[in-house]
Amino acid sequence: MASLVLLIGFVILAIITPWITDRADFNAINTGDNPTNHPPDGDYLLGTDRYGRSVALQLMWGARVSLFVGFAATVLTIVIGVLIGLTAGFFGGWIDSVLMRITDWFLVIPFLPTAIVLAAVLERSLWTIVMVIGITSWPSSARLIRSQVLSVRERLYVDRARALGAGRLHIVGRHILPNVTPLILASATLAVPISILTETTLSFLGLGDPTEISWGGMLDQAQQSSAVTSGHWWYYLPPGVAIMLVVLAFTIFGRALEEVLDPRLRKR
Amino acid sequence: MKGRSWGIAIAVAALGALIGTVQVTGSATASGAEAPGSTVTLTVGLQQDLDSPNVTAGYLVSSYELWNLQYATLTDKAADDFATIPGLAEEWTASEDGLTYTYTRRDGLKWSDGEPLTAEDVAWTINTSRDQEWINHSATTANLTATALDDRTVEITTSVPDPKLPIMDVYILPKHIWEGPAAGDITTYEALDGVGSGPFTLQEWKPGQEWTMVANPNYWKGRPAIDQVVFRLYTEGGAMVAALENGEIDAAHDVPADLFVEMQGRDDIVTIAGEQGGFTELAMNGMQGGLGDGHPALLDLNVRHAVAHAINRDELFERVALSIGTQRDTLGVSANTEWNPEIPEDQQLNYDPAAANQLLDDGGYLDTDGDGVREMPGGGQKLIFRYAERSESSQSAGIRELVTGWLAEVGISTEVSVYDDTQLTDVIAAGEYDIFVWGWTPFVDPDPLLSYFTCDQVTTDVESPLYNDANWCSDEYDALYVEQNQELDHARRVDLVHQMITLFHNEATYVVLYHDADTQAYRTDRFEGWLRQPAGVGPVLFSNTSPTYFNLRPIGAGSGGEDDDMSTGMLILLIAGGVVVVGAIGYFIMRSRSRRDEKE
Repeated sequence: MASLVLLIGFVILAIITPWITDRADFNAINTGDNPTNHPPDGDYLLGTDRYGRSVALQLMWGARVSLFVGFAATVLTIVIGVLIGLTAGFFGGWIDSVLMRITDWFLVIPFLPTAIVLAAVLERSLWTIVMVIGITSWPSSARLIRSQVLSVRERLYVDRARALGAGRLHIVGRHILPNVTPLILASATLAVPISILTETTLSFLGLGDPTEISWGGMLDQAQQSSAVTSGHWWYYLPPGVAIMLVVLAFTIFGRALEEVLDPRLRKR
Repeated sequence: MKGRSWGIAIAVAALGALIGTVQVTGSATASGAEAPGSTVTLTVGLQQDLDSPNVTAGYLVSSYELWNLQYATLTDKAADDFATIPGLAEEWTASEDGLTYTYTRRDGLKWSDGEPLTAEDVAWTINTSRDQEWINHSATTANLTATALDDRTVEITTSVPDPKLPIMDVYILPKHIWEGPAAGDITTYEALDGVGSGPFTLQEWKPGQEWTMVANPNYWKGRPAIDQVVFRLYTEGGAMVAALENGEIDAAHDVPADLFVEMQGRDDIVTIAGEQGGFTELAMNGMQGGLGDGHPALLDLNVRHAVAHAINRDELFERVALSIGTQRDTLGVSANTEWNPEIPEDQQLNYDPAAANQLLDDGGYLDTDGDGVREMPGGGQKLIFRYAERSESSQSAGIRELVTGWLAEVGISTEVSVYDDTQLTDVIAAGEYDIFVWGWTPFVDPDPLLSYFTCDQVTTDVESPLYNDANWCSDEYDALYVEQNQELDHARRVDLVHQMITLFHNEATYVVLYHDADTQAYRTDRFEGWLRQPAGVGPVLFSNTSPTYFNLRPIGAGSGGEDDDMSTGMLILLIAGGVVVVGAIGYFIMRSRSRRDEKE
């Protein structure tokens, strides 16, 4: 429950940030008079970086990018995963074989190197990051959904619907999809933290969108300005803690959701 | 339940950190402790490995340091001012027409392996490098012919008047070692032989870790006071600085700017911002090679001037470069400051957004649709410039944020792309950019850097990129270039070069943002005799001829003992700290356990 409250809090904060703060306030051309590398105090809640930019503002605006990428990449992952998993599971036969071999192929190529290579080759923007994460992380959800579809399509009411002359589209839309939806939801919730972590990793490696500030990008900048060696903890700790909290909250919430949706997972 | 697992997680993390620290200190003690009478080792930290010890193949700064130490040159350069002084040659005479020089080598010269170093080695190096176009020799030797008149004299003739002579600063290689490799493809030779004529020669290279050079007993100035020099590689600047601060290394090259500024207050470490003429520029696409698709507005000199006026170079220097280096708005063509002209006040392109707006307004670049971005005269294409930057530079992001902000204020929009150096080289060669930010570092003679901006160097074939990366050139500049290249009167040549640099500045195809400095630091407790080249402004390491190493002397004899005391002290402190941490963890676990008991 606490995790859900935390998540909603983060999302609301990310949504209202543009109304309560001004992006220009931490644009470097306007921060020339601010103190640099200033520890947290009343004026700067989380201190400032080497260009005098408020870390608190960066953290709030960074939440927008990190959460946006997290959600967008998850949507892409799930859409691809559902399409492939559903098609493979429902039609079976050679379609299943072909799709699953493709999935296997994507499953065995090492995730991070592929993501780094793709992010490096493509133009650096948020959408590239979203695409990279989507392309590299759909196979596991495809496999998961396929296995569920395989069991659902053998149920009696599916046979009955077929006997009554229902079309394939009708069966998939009315009988199979509703039965795998809980699984999709749960795996989507668990895909968000992975997407956020991947965005952070890529941004930390300098492969993110240079014009947008994200939590991973903040860590990268902290690294670039030697914040760790200099002991400027207020620069790298807040984004680190924020990432940890969001990822943890999503994971706990996802597990809880799984338990609710799948009674077999519930412990006594 | 949650409380306890958290406690354990923290405990594990803290223990891990503790073990890590102890190990680091442990290795420091091992390398820092020296028995009396053992070898005297200078350890230099850096972040760039050798690309190749082979002087006909490598081109990275770290490799030049290796060759500077391993190979002596016919004429040397003074540490203070680059004045030409005797090297392997003790004297030389010029012919009447200035086309032929005769050098006489010192008596009794030997290679580090004991073989005699003769005029034949010199002649062979010069002629072979010319014929095979060795990358680090041919700029000097392309027009030269060398003949060994006897064992000690060599005659060098140039086919065109050459103002660089009698300077003969190419690395002389041992013919008896290199003759074999030169018969095939010389660039594939590994060059781990370690035979040279300089103060130190290569002993071992562990790629990615370190390379070691040992004193050459046959060096013509005598054996160095240091027995060996270890160049140790660090993947991260912060780790290198930590190693310097606790005495694992004696000097560090390329210290991150932020840490460099912080170290300036320490009394056991001297920081050196060494200048060699290197600079960072914002380049605009001049589009004269016919390649690519630069923004048409950049063909207008007034637009380029407006961009220059929109940029606050003073602020960039202070906030991005942290005032390390020099504020200078002209090309750095040499490590020697005499080649730098002063731009007359009325031609300076200083920060003046009002002037920038005026220039753009007058040129008809108006914002007719009110979106804050100007358009080409008469409407049409917007002034949106593609802005390319390097991912390898830690200053890129700061420069970009400020510059794009200032350009937006005068109605010029930007689209930022980040590239690694290889990608950016391709983008520049293809001319598919409007603005990029990069830099150059010159040699001592201004000729090479000046040559980059001639029409010959404009890339016309993407497959073979040339040096003129801004695709700008002019007949006037080219004429001046040819003139200075053959002007034997030094004062007149300096004047010609000043004219060229001023002309280039006024064309504003490059906006030189500032002159960078090599950030170096060394400990004061182990060695003395550090030399800056040139005096007062240059670096102590990785300079043009690297005179520091031979000049260094170890301080006293007890310095090793002090190191030991310090490490032991730190170890005790760490163990004490460890006990405290473990105790705290234990307490934490006990407490959370008892709390759990209460709950149950």
